[in-house]
Amino acid sequence: MIAVRQETWIDNQMTTPSSLQLPHMLSLPPPQFMGQLHTDRVDIWFRNALWGGDQLRQRVAFALSEIMVVSQLGALQQRPFAVADYYDMLVQNAFGNYRDLIEQVTLHPAMGVYLSMLGNEKPNPTLNIRPDENYARELMQLFSIGLVELNTDGTIRLGANSQPIPTYDQEIIEGFAHVFTGWTWRGSPSFGSGRVPVSSQYFPMEHWAEFHDTGEKILLGGTVLSAGQTGEQDLSDALDNIFNHDNVGPFIAIRLIQRLTTSNPSPAYVRRVAEVFNNNGAGVRGDLGAVVKAILLDPDASPAMAMEIDGKVKEPLLRLTQLFKAYDASSASGRYPLVGSYILFGQGPLQSPSVFNFFSPYYAPPGEIRNSSLVAPELEIATEYLSTQYTNYMFFQSFGLNHTNQDLGEDDVFINFQEEMDVADDIDALVDMVAGKLLGGEISDTLRTEITGMLERIPETDTAIRAAETIYFVTTSPEYAYQR
Amino acid sequence: MKTLNRRDFLRTSGAAALFAATPGLAYSQVMGGGGSFTDYRALVCVFMFGGNDSYNMLVPNTNAEYAAYATSRQNLALLQTDLLPISPASTGTPDYGLHPAMGGIQSLFQGGNAAFVTNAGPLVEPTTKTQYFDKSVTLPPQLFSHNDQQDQWTSLRGNVPGKTGWAGRMADLIRDGVAGQQMATNASLFGSNLFQSADETVAYVMGPGGPIQYQGFSTTPGDILNEQRLAFGRVVDAQYDTIYERGFRDVQRRAIDAADAVSTAINNQRSNFPLATAFPASQLGTQLETVAYLIAARDDLQMQRQIFFVAAGGFDSHDDQNQNQPGLLGGISDAIAAFHAATAELNIDDGVTTFTQSDFGRTLTSNGDGTDHAWAGNQLVVGGAVNGGDLYGSYPLLQIGGPEDVGGGRIIPSTSADQYAATLARWFGIPETDLDIVAPNLPNFVQKDLGFMMV
Repeated sequence: MIAVRQETWIDNQMTTPSSLQLPHMLSLPPPQFMGQLHTDRVDIWFRNALWGGDQLRQRVAFALSEIMVVSQLGALQQRPFAVADYYDMLVQNAFGNYRDLIEQVTLHPAMGVYLSMLGNEKPNPTLNIRPDENYARELMQLFSIGLVELNTDGTIRLGANSQPIPTYDQEIIEGFAHVFTGWTWRGSPSFGSGRVPVSSQYFPMEHWAEFHDTGEKILLGGTVLSAGQTGEQDLSDALDNIFNHDNVGPFIAIRLIQRLTTSNPSPAYVRRVAEVFNNNGAGVRGDLGAVVKAILLDPDASPAMAMEIDGKVKEPLLRLTQLFKAYDASSASGRYPLVGSYILFGQGPLQSPSVFNFFSPYYAPPGEIRNSSLVAPELEIATEYLSTQYTNYMFFQSFGLNHTNQDLGEDDVFINFQEEMDVADDIDALVDMVAGKLLGGEISDTLRTEITGMLERIPETDTAIRAAETIYFVTTSPEYAYQR
Repeated sequence: MKTLNRRDFLRTSGAAALFAATPGLAYSQVMGGGGSFTDYRALVCVFMFGGNDSYNMLVPNTNAEYAAYATSRQNLALLQTDLLPISPASTGTPDYGLHPAMGGIQSLFQGGNAAFVTNAGPLVEPTTKTQYFDKSVTLPPQLFSHNDQQDQWTSLRGNVPGKTGWAGRMADLIRDGVAGQQMATNASLFGSNLFQSADETVAYVMGPGGPIQYQGFSTTPGDILNEQRLAFGRVVDAQYDTIYERGFRDVQRRAIDAADAVSTAINNQRSNFPLATAFPASQLGTQLETVAYLIAARDDLQMQRQIFFVAAGGFDSHDDQNQNQPGLLGGISDAIAAFHAATAELNIDDGVTTFTQSDFGRTLTSNGDGTDHAWAGNQLVVGGAVNGGDLYGSYPLLQIGGPEDVGGGRIIPSTSADQYAATLARWFGIPETDLDIVAPNLPNFVQKDLGFMMV
């Protein structure tokens, strides 16, 4: 019954229109400095993530943004429209086909700038110039097939000498690097740098045939592109070559499962999802909507009896959005200008330190997790330092940035816990209410006992302090940081 | 009974009182037992994320070798007249030059406090170009990939999947000798890293400015905020059913245990014994200034052996290399020179060795306005215990298609990262018999000590 309701909800979500960032960005008056618009980009990210009708789409887009990473930090600091439009592209392709997605990723100017395919040109042997390998390498390593051959269940396929089998070598990297030559800003006056209109940030890159290498190119699996093809044909063939590699199903299955449901999926879970990637039941390969549905409805996603390795650590940004949603967070200006969240939490919307995301899918903290050959990727940014920063932020959010504070600035994002204050004279009712909003109604005995002990020290007339104290303890607890 | 009000909660817990660490599993993991060192030594790893183009950091300055360099690098070559010449002690003539932004390192080199280890990189065993192409030697896996080669430099695990780093293994090996330390041997100011990961000990991660303290906690008995701290701690220490909650909790426990002691010690140094040395206002400068204050506080924290991890990013110069390289290399030079000056001011420069690592060197050839991922590179070592003013290892002929180029100007290392690590480890105090644990590929190399550290 629950499963049926869940499936209906998913189906409805998949047809809900996308909440986008670019229209909002374009409606703003031009800023003094282009980079300032990243504050507005983060603002609209929060608005859509919190209140968009397309909740599942936004959630999957965020997952994709941690797989096919571009970041504000670096060369894109001056290209906020490109970053916003890149996210919109992920939102619009969240339930589309993976083949379309990688083509739009490849030709997006945000990715072109971030991994330097934009302006990449054919070799010039007399000047010792050869094509840029950056995008070719990361497209394969991080966005599609990974480094070693996988079985359909995601386990590593071993070769004759019991060693993993590399998926590609330097020759293949160079083949793809030659494919990805000849692309630059749409409407650019020259192939290299030059002043381009702002709109070039949100249209696909444009091909300049004279900068494309027309030689033969060696791709995956012994495929060779013959000489003399156009840049568009080379690109299309090369993306087909990657798309049809056996690794893509299990690789994308593992990445999306880890982002959405559990850090350590069973091989059977990976295989079930990879098989849906390979064929959605109607003979279509790469149907991401079907993949997402398979991930969320899989019996392993909500096991009747949870094992201690089921689930995952909730990312700090998602801990924040959960709090904001539960407590109707807003600011006087209506904005959520939390552009510094990557400094505070080690994470913010499209603010990764590199193309390797905020954390590695292989991260295993010392102790039982590593010793058991398991992983907990999100814990890579739960360092002593960032954990303390997060705890302190929740302290200020609860006690300072709330609706009872008369001294808030117009951009201060505050939570509203009036409902909690209304029941705060009844400690059990208060704890139950917060647990209901933040912990799915299940609170551990220890957390309840400790909160109760603290609340008993606060006069029942100090209802705001009681509410804040409860929210502070819950949002900083290990159980709140866990997603089952 | 005193009750809580907003003022209590919003006041910062600036109390200088140093609270006794709560005994706990995690804390015991970072401590050892028995044995002792008689002096203080620290290793400071400066990691250049992205892959430093180190053949533009240290450039041949003799005419024939410079000409080969300039021919290979074309529009990325530095002008010979712009190089800052250095004269290695072994030749006495200005055979090499530094990038023009690296005046600070030039001075340290000439003063005998800086050395370069040339053409170094991850290797499982000595490797020639012929062996590379006929695949007759074992190679580190996934050459030219960022994260894999970062892992190779920091773990030295060859083709054995590694879960520990060589700094982590050193910390485990000396665990018994540093029993009284109030802080973990390994400290990072740049996040979690494989370098300091270990089986037994746990690295402590602080911010670029040091640890931060918890707001709303006090250590005054009877204070409601002391009750809050204790209640928070009991939540942290509760039983949890999943590995994820336990993993999250372990970090919280370590943070609680270390924050006050380390903060108090470093704040005491900053307030009462400010350094005269000025640090650049860069991310790396801030980190190294914090390290200097932590070293200054070594007696308060009873530290005897420390390994610090600091880092700078932006070295992945696929684009705009000529525009960005002066700032990148100048930033390294200025920050390391200031740090060395600070250790001299603290009169501990003989006990502190700073060294660089990076993902890989970069291609000698250009992709138009930048370079791509390659293999070997040059590394910098600075400190009073360095046999400075010289180059260690051979410097390759920077020629495309030359005897050490595997294609596009990707140079095979002639010195291994294991040899580099082992030389530093020996100085740090790792016994001869344990060097192979630190540097597992060391048995495959004849020269166990590159000689750049005083012994």
